Amino acid sequence: MPRSAIDRNTLSALRAHRWFALLATTRILGALLGVALLLVHPVTHHDPLLAAVTLSWAALSLLLLRFTEDVPWAPAVWALDGFAALGLVLAGDDWRSPFYVFALTTLILPATSLPWRVAVAWGLSFSVFYGVVALLTEKLPSDTLTNTIRLETLATHLFVPVVITTTLAYSSVLLGRLRTARAESERLALQSERQRIAWELHDSAKQRVHAAHLMLSALDHHGLDPQGHELLEGALSELRATTADMETSVAELRTPLDGRPVDELLRERAAELTLAGVARIDVTGRLPVLPPLVAAHAYRIAAEALTNAVRHAACSTITVTLADAPEGMRLEIADDGIGMPTGPRAGGHGLRSMHGRAETIGAKLKIGPGPGGLGTSVALALPHPGGTS
Amino acid sequence: MIRLLIVDDHPAMRAGLTAVLRAEPGIIPLATASSELDLEATLNRTKPDVVLLDYHLPGADGLKLCRRLKRSVPAPGVLLYSAYADSSMVVPAILAGADGLLNKSAPAPELYDALRAVSRGDRVLPPVPRELLEAAGQRVDQTDLPILAMMVDGVPLGEIAEALREPVRDVSRRLDGMIERLRVEIAAV
Repeated sequence: MPRSAIDRNTLSALRAHRWFALLATTRILGALLGVALLLVHPVTHHDPLLAAVTLSWAALSLLLLRFTEDVPWAPAVWALDGFAALGLVLAGDDWRSPFYVFALTTLILPATSLPWRVAVAWGLSFSVFYGVVALLTEKLPSDTLTNTIRLETLATHLFVPVVITTTLAYSSVLLGRLRTARAESERLALQSERQRIAWELHDSAKQRVHAAHLMLSALDHHGLDPQGHELLEGALSELRATTADMETSVAELRTPLDGRPVDELLRERAAELTLAGVARIDVTGRLPVLPPLVAAHAYRIAAEALTNAVRHAACSTITVTLADAPEGMRLEIADDGIGMPTGPRAGGHGLRSMHGRAETIGAKLKIGPGPGGLGTSVALALPHPGGTS
Repeated sequence: MIRLLIVDDHPAMRAGLTAVLRAEPGIIPLATASSELDLEATLNRTKPDVVLLDYHLPGADGLKLCRRLKRSVPAPGVLLYSAYADSSMVVPAILAGADGLLNKSAPAPELYDALRAVSRGDRVLPPVPRELLEAAGQRVDQTDLPILAMMVDGVPLGEIAEALREPVRDVSRRLDGMIERLRVEIAAV
């Protein structure tokens, strides 16, 4: 692996666990400081046993905290950690303790992980407990409350935890906000880019295709031989499929299917349309997962058929049948309404676009009267992806 | 003989339409306009029988333009031409006084027929689905319902004003309000 990749991984791991990294660094330093004071400082008892306990607890506690970082009962571990540190202070028998820094490190995780009010309360409680420990240790001279310097030292010892917790909690909240703002601005940038592409597709490319389609369709009755006619029909149908493709892409850019299965989306759409109260829509069966383009077109054909049925069919029930058979997949939307209008202008843009979509994905689309000549049935036969076709 | 003015912001569409329509006997594309401003000048110069009007002009509103065209004297026939002409656009198009609504994906013969029908004074509008009309009725002011009904039936503005015993200008203002309420938003374009 290239060096820069390792660096990047380390960096991102550090960023993800930044507060734990802060805790580990300060706790190791705090433990070393405590041990050094304990062993060499003239004022303290020289207590090698307590030094050894401190070092092992520092290592053990870091491991414990690391592995319980994400569990829901982590605050209990943090509280335990805090009391253990106060225990060390108590064992050192002096509230101006070599373990003061060590004890402060127990505030890092609660301050940065809990809601800020709880965090500040945590810091205050720590100060209260520290005050109690100070009262319990033997070396609290009786003149503490009258001696200015001693009083000031005690006050500082009690005040610092609150300041540290508040600061950390504030930074943590700020970082969280920054992260949300960044995610939001990335989402907005992506969305505006999608809209720009959709606009270009619709505004420019699709207009050109419409123009080409119009010009070619004008050739239709200019006395072409059968072969020319066939070629022309082919070109026109390709162009119609292209506009249908573009519409799907534009729709996909605006409201993407996001890789969700077609049957699930259809059930959702059916539920939405049922809410309008025009007709009852039953969806039965399942479809396998389809390739994205096929899924998008199949869904939009079915959605258009549903909309048409609700809008024009004056029906009371619509059934959507999804089936997956070895010879191909089948998607049928049938209603019990008034059927399709007949005549030369039957089938406007919507139906043309449905046929165009079907052509694009190599599916067969049959739109006609339903079973028994009642209502309308829209049947889409899809070949299996990578099948015999 | 149909004297035609083409209004579309896209050069490919203008060129294509001009070429196709020039080859069709009985239709004479007089000029093209690409924007609202352009339209103003060209209209005064050419006095067309029919205007083929793109629904989505940049910075302009096809429905408002249509209203203005129909107010000019003599008023040309207006065929709204759109890449989005589905049935939800029919009611607003009717209220704007359009004589026709056609999708850009329609083949050329359909376009010729529509232009001829409009120039004869017929309307080339897809049928208004019942439930869309009901929805439109719920969205407009209840006192405007008679105007909506008469417009859908194709009653000329002057007769509507007469029937309601109101000045044409008032009816016209109420129409503007209804169009504003029923405007079809084409998502995000």
